[in-house]
Amino acid sequence: MNKKIPLLAAALLLALGASAAVIPPGVQLHASQTLIRNNGSEPETLDPANAESVGANNITRDLFEGLTANDSAGNIVPGVAESWKQMNPTTWVFKLRQNAKWSNGDPVTANDFVFGIRRFLDPKTASTYATTFGVFLQNGLLVAQGKKPTTELGVKAIDKFTLELKTAGPVPFLPALMSNNNLGAVHEPSVKKFGKDWVKPGNMVSNGAYMLKEWSVNSKVIIEKNPQYWDAKNVTLERVTYLPIEDENAETKLFETGQIEWTNQLPPGTFEKFKAQYPKDIKNQPIIGLRYYSYQTQSPQFKDVRIRKAMSMVIDRDILAQKVTADGQSPAYDVVVKGTIGEDVGQYDWAAWPMAKRVEEAKKLLAEAGVKPGTKYTLSYNTSEYHKKMAIFAQSEWKTKLGLNVEMEAMEFKVLLKKRHDGTFQIARNGWLADYNDATTFLALVRCDSDQNNNFNCNREAEKLITEGSNTTDLAKRKDLFNKAAKMIMDEYPIIPLLQYSLPRLVKSYVGGYSQDNVQDRYRSKDLYIIKH
Amino acid sequence: MWSYTLRRLLATLPTLLAVITACYLLVHAAPGGPFDSERKVSEAVLANLQAKYHLDKPPVEQYFYYLGNLLHGDLGASFRYADWSVNDLVAAALPVSLSIGGTAIVLSFVIGVVLGIAAALRQNSAADYTVMFCSNSGSVLPSFVLGPLLVLVFAILLKWLPAGGWDGFNWKFMILPIALLTFINVATIARVMRGSLIEVLHSNFIRTAKAKGLPTRVVVFRHALKPALLPVVSVMGPLTISSITSALVTETIFSLPGIGKLIVNGAGNRDYTLVLGLVVLITVLAVLLNLLVDLAYAALDPKIRY
Repeated sequence: MNKKIPLLAAALLLALGASAAVIPPGVQLHASQTLIRNNGSEPETLDPANAESVGANNITRDLFEGLTANDSAGNIVPGVAESWKQMNPTTWVFKLRQNAKWSNGDPVTANDFVFGIRRFLDPKTASTYATTFGVFLQNGLLVAQGKKPTTELGVKAIDKFTLELKTAGPVPFLPALMSNNNLGAVHEPSVKKFGKDWVKPGNMVSNGAYMLKEWSVNSKVIIEKNPQYWDAKNVTLERVTYLPIEDENAETKLFETGQIEWTNQLPPGTFEKFKAQYPKDIKNQPIIGLRYYSYQTQSPQFKDVRIRKAMSMVIDRDILAQKVTADGQSPAYDVVVKGTIGEDVGQYDWAAWPMAKRVEEAKKLLAEAGVKPGTKYTLSYNTSEYHKKMAIFAQSEWKTKLGLNVEMEAMEFKVLLKKRHDGTFQIARNGWLADYNDATTFLALVRCDSDQNNNFNCNREAEKLITEGSNTTDLAKRKDLFNKAAKMIMDEYPIIPLLQYSLPRLVKSYVGGYSQDNVQDRYRSKDLYIIKH
Repeated sequence: MWSYTLRRLLATLPTLLAVITACYLLVHAAPGGPFDSERKVSEAVLANLQAKYHLDKPPVEQYFYYLGNLLHGDLGASFRYADWSVNDLVAAALPVSLSIGGTAIVLSFVIGVVLGIAAALRQNSAADYTVMFCSNSGSVLPSFVLGPLLVLVFAILLKWLPAGGWDGFNWKFMILPIALLTFINVATIARVMRGSLIEVLHSNFIRTAKAKGLPTRVVVFRHALKPALLPVVSVMGPLTISSITSALVTETIFSLPGIGKLIVNGAGNRDYTLVLGLVVLITVLAVLLNLLVDLAYAALDPKIRY
């Protein structure tokens, strides 16, 4: 019973109370509770339905609150919903807290969520995430594809403070999914009154812990504490300034002069230097993301799995992680990475072999496949020092260990994206950051018919297992099926897993509430506070 | 003069149209589209996005639609920054670039001309060598080396100024980028001014003025300076344009929200309307500055009449 998704009563999850900043006893707060952090880029929008980039979601996470939320450690905690209950495998009921308010004082109701979710999936809104998240809701995919009206979506207001969601199949991670603000509420009267300008300062009505104070495009976004927020008394930070600095060298200089207190990401190759220089401020947590290379498995060069296997075997991920990228990432040998819920991380047998044995086996495989030393391949990557460094390492591994001549082809990111989607490459750099914490976000990279499958490999047997796993309510069985499917697929070597992402950055030691357990790097400013310094 | 100015302005229209057309063709021909992203969007969403930005129309229709909007001063909606129009983005970035680039160019002109005169009047002296050494340093030191050096010294070590960022028109944030651009431009102007003045000072009419017994001050400032300024004026147009619009390195080093950064991001994102809008802006600026240079030429050289 304990391994089954509990039906009806057993799934009742009650809010344990406010989930705001937990200030340890003895910690003295600074008189000024403000934070300036670099967000890495200009947000493409502040409309939660259309927010796509990490930067935009960082801000909308403060401005808006979904049914659920992530705390600093990455746990799912109640948001506007104070509790939820799974009524049957495909029906969930969320009870909304009655004291949740919009920043103009209006109550946040179930209808606001119905409006927000329907708007998000409506093709007219043109959200790039509509199909990614919509697929989990009843009729969600058809609505996102414009084949059904939004009224047929599996979302319904039972009463003012009760919301019912129907899913397309069993979605055990639905509470986690609903922490994404794309699937949150928006204030209908504001949207209707201001049109696309509803997101501008002065117009925006939000329901999160913060309100939009200023948005100077390409310069800064300033948010301030929302006095109408249901948990305002537990929100410590009064003001947060988000800067859109893209250049990592520029942002570290701003950190060094005290102009920012939180960098987005350190420049490549500087982790050890900054670790020595700022031992109290350095942070580096693993996140659920995978760096990998895709093979075009349908291309004549890579149709033979023996070639794909041989080339994967000889890349020394340990050296890549420790000496080449050298910023705290860990070697990867599977499509899923550590910290992902719903599947175990697999590993190839040969990963434990000494390199000499791996090279010997790889040479044997190539000989069997008729590949001679000197054979030419092309590795495509988007121009970046980091990707170039990794590509040079891979090129060198293939040359020195197997005698293969791999030409490096650098290009703009948009060009690489098109090549990957069109399949006009041989080997291509790739990467994936999980949209939600469940194995399915990674399996989408290698599933048949998936939009994210850039390797064009398809294993129908594995596909059956994944479908079966997705439809079962038994979590242990689901995991077992996913494990088996992933192994079957990875044994066909559609991709070369390389590294699990980590996030090296500098955060002032006086910024309290920053946890390095947050595998999705999703922080809410309401969980943070400034310690006296 | 007025009719000349008007004729020049009218003559720029074909230039502007040619630049817009070429740029329009180039941005649309670039591989990778504005809606290509890590996750493929559904056909319905893609169709809506294309309809929203009129990309569902035939290319010729799209082109004339763009031109029609342009005639009304509408640069269109940004593909990447959906909440902003291109007019909004340009309006936010242009004052930053104008204030930094404009101030730098004025300072460069004044300092460069003064240094050039000083070096020319003391040719082959210690002062001349010093000015030329500094000028050559400004020419050979790339801004991506000099900029971080300025940050290191004045922001990190001395802590006198911010390392970058933008805080409205707070002068503290403007000093270092202006200093960087000024140093680089001064180098060019001082060298041109020095060379030009030396050449003029060796001409026959100056020799005549000296033979008449006129004091050096009068010879230089009344007779030699005007003709010597002509080559300087001719380089001011391109220098000004590059200071205002092409200062990408400066904007990156100091994290300034200016035009240079916007155009590079626009090109990378395949934000067609943003790139086209900025090209139109830069072309108009170039045309106006060239016209100003020509008018300055006429004021400096009585032989030139329009």
